[in-house]
Amino acid sequence: MSMAGRTLALILLLGLQAVMPLRAAEETMLREAYTQPLPGLSEAERERFFRGRSLFRQSWVVAPAEDRAAGLGPLYNRLACISCHQKNGRGRSPDGPEERMQSMLVRLSVPGQDAHGGPKPHPAYGGQLNEEGIPGIPGEGRAALHWVELPAERLTGGETVALRRPRIEFVELAYGPLTGALHSLRIGQPVYGLGLLEAVPEKTLRAMAAEAKPDGVRGRLNQVTDVAAQRMMTGRFGFKANAPNLRQQIAGAFVGDLGITSVLFPDENCMPAQKGCQQAPSAGHPELAVADLDAIEFYLANLAAPVRRNTDDPQVQHGERMFARIGCTACHRPELQTGPSPRFSLTAQQRIAPYSDLLLHDMGRGLADGRPDYRASGRQWRTPPLWGIGLVPLINEHSQYLHDGRARNLQEAILWHGGEASAARRRYTASSEPERRALLAFLHSL
Amino acid sequence: MNDKPSFSAIRRRLLLGLGAGGLMSTPLRAAETRSVRQPVVVLTSYNDEVFSRFEAAFEKAHPQYKLQLVWRMPHDALPYLRQPRQAGVDVYWSASPRNFAALAREGAWQPLGIARDGLPERIGKARLADAEGFYTATEMAGYGFIFNPEAVARLKLAAPADWQDLTAPAYAGQLVLPNPARVGFAPVMVDIVLQAYGWEKGWATWSAIAGNAGSLTDRGSTFVTDEVASGRRAVGLSIDFFAVSAIANGAPLRFAYPAHGGINPAHIALARNAPNPDGARAFASFVLSAEGQRIVTHRDIHKLPVRPEVYRELPADYFNPFRAAEQGAFDYDGDADRNRLGLISALFEQTLIREHGELAALWQRIHRAAAAGHDIRAARQLLESPPISLAEASQPALQQVFRNRLEGANPDANDQELRWQEASRSRRAAVASLLTGQGA
Repeated sequence: MSMAGRTLALILLLGLQAVMPLRAAEETMLREAYTQPLPGLSEAERERFFRGRSLFRQSWVVAPAEDRAAGLGPLYNRLACISCHQKNGRGRSPDGPEERMQSMLVRLSVPGQDAHGGPKPHPAYGGQLNEEGIPGIPGEGRAALHWVELPAERLTGGETVALRRPRIEFVELAYGPLTGALHSLRIGQPVYGLGLLEAVPEKTLRAMAAEAKPDGVRGRLNQVTDVAAQRMMTGRFGFKANAPNLRQQIAGAFVGDLGITSVLFPDENCMPAQKGCQQAPSAGHPELAVADLDAIEFYLANLAAPVRRNTDDPQVQHGERMFARIGCTACHRPELQTGPSPRFSLTAQQRIAPYSDLLLHDMGRGLADGRPDYRASGRQWRTPPLWGIGLVPLINEHSQYLHDGRARNLQEAILWHGGEASAARRRYTASSEPERRALLAFLHSL
Repeated sequence: MNDKPSFSAIRRRLLLGLGAGGLMSTPLRAAETRSVRQPVVVLTSYNDEVFSRFEAAFEKAHPQYKLQLVWRMPHDALPYLRQPRQAGVDVYWSASPRNFAALAREGAWQPLGIARDGLPERIGKARLADAEGFYTATEMAGYGFIFNPEAVARLKLAAPADWQDLTAPAYAGQLVLPNPARVGFAPVMVDIVLQAYGWEKGWATWSAIAGNAGSLTDRGSTFVTDEVASGRRAVGLSIDFFAVSAIANGAPLRFAYPAHGGINPAHIALARNAPNPDGARAFASFVLSAEGQRIVTHRDIHKLPVRPEVYRELPADYFNPFRAAEQGAFDYDGDADRNRLGLISALFEQTLIREHGELAALWQRIHRAAAAGHDIRAARQLLESPPISLAEASQPALQQVFRNRLEGANPDANDQELRWQEASRSRRAAVASLLTGQGA
């Protein structure tokens, strides 16, 4: 971070602390805000919830092993779900090229589509770079992240902000060059509130997509493969809305990030040229028992989103009004209604405040990854839910935002908005400094 | 162990491919300038919360090394390290004193050979450093009680200060008890009481504590803490770090270290066949350094450092076991009874955990009868008596049978255990008969 950037971050931090002092006790309580169940679990459900939590925190073991949690790899990124979703929250990007990606990964593909319209895997490396291999199997390589500082931008009132963008250097590649690869960085996403998002009816998503919106905002649904149903479905999870439901999202992460097969993804993530990977011992077929997948799904489906804080604060209230006035709520919808939810009853018929429409939007060239994913273009991203975002520094001990952690605070995240969000961004930068502070205070209340 | 010389040429090769993603954002760059990091393979049972912090800090301090984590529960780590060439492991780092001792006997370690300045050899009667210099403690966890102060106050009891406090009749149904045959830290917990009070009185204490248990768990401290935090139970028998880190993160609970305490140390050792001994030694040194020892005090980890100087930087309410040891709180000698831990865990499971409902009901009858003035001495003595004598429990052959019954192993009961079950059943029937005869 530049000196100016550091100074600004400090001013921002101090400013926010001045308006939103957290009592120590409240602060410590809030550190568990991402781990709470929805209210109303029965005794038996509570037991399932804890079972799922144990599995989510479980470090997986290389087969063969006596341990039940066996099946890690042969190629993988980290050992546990919680590795990339610390305290169920947000991962972070490395500070520089020497630092490994502890809660982040790189998606890979080559131009074109697979048989179902999804990204076409790289012929040697597959759909993502697995940096680790079990003993005897070389990891695929390492993505070293360099940060490139961009020229500073002056906002109304004289405040200057310099953004940074990532540059990847692939090193220690074990399976040949990454010729022709498309790549896209991903930090671990928060995992709370997902059951509620799943319970938002598809017709609601369609209605939002069809609505006429101001400022050139559109919003589009992704259509992705539902592996269990063997048909195309509306996508709603993932940075590009490329997973149709929570269960597939979980199973996809198990096979992609941990190398653990499941009923939905029964094949190891080994490419044809990765002979050692293909011949490595398996812990079962599948490695993740259906009951364990059920338990993790139950756990995540019943994780509550944090309750808002400081809602009586006039600055926060001002910021909330401003958030709507400058056009943020066109995509970051402050209210959605869930529908029936036969499998997870506590998520049914709830009024929720995710600050998302779950739709894809063109976010402009600056944020584009150039890697299409089903109907999501290289410039489109799903509106990320903002609930709980104000607790990231407290719970995850960093303040990185956006899909690759390039934003070092929420203001930088706003300034990366482009494309359909250009008008809202313009209004933000044209706002007075106190107004911008108010908007940030509102975001910190989420 | 990854030995990939054939890939070094590839690693040095320039990457020429520029994908659309690269073109639109920033180009992929060549990898020719970066030196290849040497792997240090660490076999451990630490969870991600602990390991990832050490990984980040160590690799920052020693960028020439890359930690490669192999995760195994202690019972699974033992066969792993017995593979040819120790399966390429450089370092073993885990909270499993028995594994370190057993593998030391097999000649699995090389001398640590790292500076011990500022690292005590002992705490109380417990050794922190192996006498032969093959392994050493890297952090400690303390045994004790996680309790809900409001719930304890409602029972009109003071905060528990020692194990026998938990035998109070008011705790009936209010305790959470980990099953020592299933939960890794619990065998030593059972033994602390047996050593502190002696075999007879120790089993008597455990019988009464088990009789007060409202929840039994095979799942360890997270569950214990959850049960108490939820208000379902008043006190949980636990190890400190889960509980204290839950408290640090806001749970309305307290943790009490008993007067007769004990520690469960984690150790580190260097494999005799370590492919990267320098890297292994660098990692062990880092873990023991002041920087490494500070990491274990992070509020999400909350272990007890083995380097006393680190406590000076910690908040005043951070438990200092070295100070407590000066008051005699850590007179438990873990080395003395190590060979019987599997046996006493199996005994505990068969006699106090199985048919636990019957045991608890009998204890409640005894408490009620005592309160009503009945003479329950004979019934009580029978229910409190050890399942086998100390002499029997000290037989190496019997200890050997249960030697591998720890750290998550989950076998079926053997004939011996079935006999204990049966004897226990008969004893309970006799106790019930005595109580009935007393009109209780």
